[in-house]
Amino acid sequence: MKGKIIRMLLVGFIIVFLSACIDSAGKTSNDKEEATGGENVVNIGYSGPLSGAAAYYGENTLNGLEMAVEEINEQGFEVDGKTYKLNLIAYDDKYLPNETAANARRLVQEDDTPVVFTPHSGGIAALQVFNEQENFLIGAYSSEPAITEAGNELTVRIPPSYDGYLEPFTNYAMENFGNKLAALPPVTQYGKDWAEAIKPYWEKAGGEVVHESAIDFSKDTDFFTFLTNALESNPDVLFIGGPSEPTAKVAQQARDLGFEGGFIVMDQAKLDEMKNVTGSYEPLEGSIGTIPLINANYPGTEEFVKKYQEKYNKDPGSEAGFHYLSMYIFVEAMKAAGNVEDATVIREHIQDGLESLPEEKKVYEIEKIDENGGFEINTQYGAVEGGKVVPVSGD
Amino acid sequence: MDIFIQQLFNGLTIGSVYSLVALGLTLVYGILHIPNFAHGALYMLGGYVTLTMMVYLGVNYWISILISIITIGILSVLMDRLVFHPLRKSTPIQHKVAAIGMLLFLEALAQLIWGADYRQMPTPYGQVIQFADVTLTVQRLIIVVAAIAVMILLYLFLKKTFMGASILAMAQNREGASLVGINTNKVAVITFFIAGTLAAIGASLTSPINLVFPGMGHLVILKAFVIIIIGGMGSIPGAILGGYILGFSESIGATYISSDYKDIIAFVLLIVILSIKPQGIFAKGGV
Repeated sequence: MKGKIIRMLLVGFIIVFLSACIDSAGKTSNDKEEATGGENVVNIGYSGPLSGAAAYYGENTLNGLEMAVEEINEQGFEVDGKTYKLNLIAYDDKYLPNETAANARRLVQEDDTPVVFTPHSGGIAALQVFNEQENFLIGAYSSEPAITEAGNELTVRIPPSYDGYLEPFTNYAMENFGNKLAALPPVTQYGKDWAEAIKPYWEKAGGEVVHESAIDFSKDTDFFTFLTNALESNPDVLFIGGPSEPTAKVAQQARDLGFEGGFIVMDQAKLDEMKNVTGSYEPLEGSIGTIPLINANYPGTEEFVKKYQEKYNKDPGSEAGFHYLSMYIFVEAMKAAGNVEDATVIREHIQDGLESLPEEKKVYEIEKIDENGGFEINTQYGAVEGGKVVPVSGD
Repeated sequence: MDIFIQQLFNGLTIGSVYSLVALGLTLVYGILHIPNFAHGALYMLGGYVTLTMMVYLGVNYWISILISIITIGILSVLMDRLVFHPLRKSTPIQHKVAAIGMLLFLEALAQLIWGADYRQMPTPYGQVIQFADVTLTVQRLIIVVAAIAVMILLYLFLKKTFMGASILAMAQNREGASLVGINTNKVAVITFFIAGTLAAIGASLTSPINLVFPGMGHLVILKAFVIIIIGGMGSIPGAILGGYILGFSESIGATYISSDYKDIIAFVLLIVILSIKPQGIFAKGGV
């Protein structure tokens, strides 16, 4: 008996001790941000991973939306003679498509949200099953081309699809380093799709794919084995990708093994996050990838980056920037449509919204929305030259 | 030929880490008679403790490892005393459920404390050495040398000291050991402590060449299971040999067969060895 009590005390002590170690990482989502009373309010829905393995990513996407909503609410916006404010309602879906669907139903039925943002392709697909019937727009953040190819009338794909990266990445790497490519994509559907897209493109451009093997970041502890084999065929360029941090490790270890060529970095990995792992841009010299937002020079980027750093004390990634920008675009579209409720009407006026977007809000430059609902972005790419990221134009 | 030697060294590096983790697992198997699934979580926490010491408190790499060894050793003992020891009279299935529960609990805990993102452990030994046509980094050399040193020390401890002999005796026959006057509680505590230290050493050594994240235990623990099955459950030399067999088969197999079949090679090896020697290469409990 006595032993049992001591044991229970010990367990209690450990729990208290451990909970004292917990820092603010376990932040919970703020369910409702009340707009000040008596005004007209438009509810905006969000469903994304706010807990679990992808929580960090989900938080970044939500930060962008929150920032835009706060700014817009300072003045409100006028539609059809009435002034409206936004009310962002965020639910956690733990990255699970079924949860995304349940959240969206709740958002649409309880709060009449004309727009639901979701930052993962699985969730988007789940919403596409019923969004046309229930008449709400999906603010779809995923570069998977399939989400717009399905022909859903009420989907707006926010980031560029990866198809657009093939040409500039291939041209840059081939011109600067040579035409032998070794592909080391991650073992994910997204990674495989990317590799399947870039290999034929590379060969069509006159190059040669000398080696290919997929890296499984959930199983492999060390990349020396892969890289030794890949470098044996003397490639000029390595195609790498996956989450930023392990991808950076792959690049670093390739340099350790004496690789001197360039890297084509899949859009999932971000050059600035990779630099946090390698310590400097030196090992990444000669990489081409999507441009880190902090290095981009669109009209509104600088101001956004500054405000974001002040508010959240860290550098914004593209996911925060795109969400911030698209919130503004949806508001402009509502203004142009003269309607804050009907998703179909709002969707029809997104092009007008893009055109009337104030210059200083252009964190990215979006020329138009294509017929399938994808934003056509004047894309900038980032290359690492001379120890820093330089923008490379898309043309 | 160069690539063969390079891959041999690569295999030696991963094999060393696998062996260290498998050794801890096999030692505890001697006590619990089930594979301790939570061993992977100890490995992961070992990485985090070293990382926290180095990055947040600015402690020297080796001292950080020492702190990590002690912390994880104690944690491992607590796990035995609070979870497994009270269950000692129940059926093995309850041990297994408890072990899986501990694994899930500790992983969720690590995510709560340190967050879900990948962390980078800096190393003071990042230098690259070119030796003939083989490329190695100082950190990798340290992994190999330190792992072998730890294995030799463990071997001497088990063979030359009374406590070590008691551990082996208990692994062979718990009741017999008890009958000849061995304090089984004390032996269990020491065994769990050693298993924890081995996990912490493995994680601390290998983290600088990879990353620290809550799921990192999965990377090695599945392989450690394969290793102790190949080597023979509970066998010390089996764990060491098994670790290197797996390390080499991965690196050499990836080179001369295909990297896509790397895992298949390991499992085919497992099937072949088990068909010839169903108890593993070394019989249980033997040294």
